[in-house]
Amino acid sequence: MLSFYEVIDRAVTGPLMSDQDYYLKNYVPELNKVIQQYKIKFNPETPLPSDDALADTVFEAAVDFFSRVGAYCPDTSRVMKFTKEEILLAAGEAPSASSFGEGPDRKVMRSRMPDDHSEPWYHCGGGIYTTSDAVFMNQIEGLANIKKACSLSIPSSISLKGKDARVRSPQEVLATIKTVSMGREACKRAGRPGLPILNGISTATGPISMFAASHPNFGLRPSDGFLIDSLAEMVVDFEALDKVAFYTSLGANIGSTSTPLFGGYNGGAEGNVIVTVVYNLLGILIFRGTYHYNAPLHTKLRVSSTGPLLWIIALANQALHRNAPYPTLNLPYLGGGAGTDCYYYEMAAYHTCVVTSGGNMLSGHPSISVAPDSIVPLDHVLNIEAAQAASKLTRKEANPIVLKFLEKYEGQLKSPPKGLTYQECYDMVTGELTNAEYAKNADRIRKELRDLGLPVEKSA
Amino acid sequence: MTESEILGKLKESILIFDVELAEKSAQEAVNTDIDPLKAVEEGLVKGLDIIGEKYENDEIFLPELMMAANTFQTAMQILEPKISEKGQERAKKGIIVLGTVKGDIHKIGKDIVTLLFRTAGYEVHDLGEDVDLFTFIENAKKLNADAIGLSALLTSTLSGQKDVIDALTQEGMREKYIIMVGGGATTPEWAETIGADLFAENAQAAVRKLTEMIAKKS
Repeated sequence: MLSFYEVIDRAVTGPLMSDQDYYLKNYVPELNKVIQQYKIKFNPETPLPSDDALADTVFEAAVDFFSRVGAYCPDTSRVMKFTKEEILLAAGEAPSASSFGEGPDRKVMRSRMPDDHSEPWYHCGGGIYTTSDAVFMNQIEGLANIKKACSLSIPSSISLKGKDARVRSPQEVLATIKTVSMGREACKRAGRPGLPILNGISTATGPISMFAASHPNFGLRPSDGFLIDSLAEMVVDFEALDKVAFYTSLGANIGSTSTPLFGGYNGGAEGNVIVTVVYNLLGILIFRGTYHYNAPLHTKLRVSSTGPLLWIIALANQALHRNAPYPTLNLPYLGGGAGTDCYYYEMAAYHTCVVTSGGNMLSGHPSISVAPDSIVPLDHVLNIEAAQAASKLTRKEANPIVLKFLEKYEGQLKSPPKGLTYQECYDMVTGELTNAEYAKNADRIRKELRDLGLPVEKSA
Repeated sequence: MTESEILGKLKESILIFDVELAEKSAQEAVNTDIDPLKAVEEGLVKGLDIIGEKYENDEIFLPELMMAANTFQTAMQILEPKISEKGQERAKKGIIVLGTVKGDIHKIGKDIVTLLFRTAGYEVHDLGEDVDLFTFIENAKKLNADAIGLSALLTSTLSGQKDVIDALTQEGMREKYIIMVGGGATTPEWAETIGADLFAENAQAAVRKLTEMIAKKS
């Protein structure tokens, strides 16, 4: 694989181009050409496809597209170009297994194969979620208490002593340090000090607060995971490259992250499936990642659970794991609020598509990611149960089940139901589950998922 | 070609993003003395209306919106001077300045909003990303804007929306502009907290809600 020095050199030697020209004269037309050339077509009947030849074609198209358009560096107004050979070399050297955590909680996350019946990695806690200080510790402790959880996301704290922690402010540096310290403390309280935190430094928006909070005094270790993201679409700025330089020097796990936008420059399902794979390749080559966060998102609905989005996440995982084994976590942004049927069916459909396609589980983020305090631990137990059940199925067996799930919720996505908050379900002092109706509803959902064909078993 | 056929061709050029057809049909409209304003409103705009519906239904996406807008602009380069010559003016629904607030560099959502407003007949001044709060205010003043659009994707940049409202209030100009907020991190509750006039959950909602609000005001 190209060295990182060679990679960053491309950001200062690549062809000069305005961002408008990059998208209008390069990115959009080349993506359309690639879609036509490789004859990639979304089929609504198979949100979970099982055509290996199609998966391989998507991979080939992704390599071709990446070699045509490269990535855009806005700091230099240059395109970072890579040849097909350079991309394929990186793909061939992708880290197929990465270790996270310490002590008894040290585990290996793997790139799985489609229809592989091994259990996936279970990551709990959604993406970067906002939480009030009142529930912060209890919420993380609740997630850390989930026995099968392999890793956690910790919340983003956007206030400090009751004041806003603005982007790139000294308050942000302090809030970021506070967040990681509290996150580690909550894991200790749950008796799992070595549990890896994989959403890096959730409160940090820029490298300064991210680097500050990485100091070992605050509790993070190289065996946690540090997220570095591209901006949609295919923008790699110096801040991202600064983070790569820092975390590779620490020998830390880097989680390359991407949010391809359905309805944006990638267009619909066909463009997004290609670009989703490209971001993984970019993650290996440019961000030197040890795992990837996939989060394709619908620009209007702000969810990941529509039929076309399921097809994208399933097929992109298949394309990747068959050709460039790189462990992926796949983040579902879901419309339904915590504890709603809509949420449960969305997460079950999403995990079924991901897990049977070779991906690992990241538990679903409720309420279009905007309702604070909406990460409710029992929901995340159900996420694990659904993902575990999916690992027992093949793609062919699972596709009809996914279609049944879609029928249950797709009509609600324009105006999804609001859900519960942590405070409405758990005792704020003891952290015990106190909402009996919510717990009973979870049992009903387990039964319904089983009745529809997903062999969910209640965790011990 | 009859007037109706030329208007049909103008509409079709938008629907199939055919810049050459737009140029040719606009020239044909001028050559045959079709009222240029009529050529715009009953030809090009009819096409844009269908484009808007298709976007709403996920039949087309941002690249197609951009191509439709480009086709529209090409025809307008021929028709607009003729409209001016006749002393006419194309009715504008309103003037908007918009951008992504200070500290936030996300652009795609804001770009989609810009395009949809333009295709809906608004004059839009896109100030870009990471925009200083006084840049919003100075441009709104200079352009005599009806509305200011503030986009924020990150929770930690939401305060940039509040800053613009605070500065307008401080300068005694808050009531002069409709303030609309949107972007991944915004919620109706947040919009209410900071005293924004309009929360838009997506680009189409922004166009619909602002149009209703401007109609109520006038």
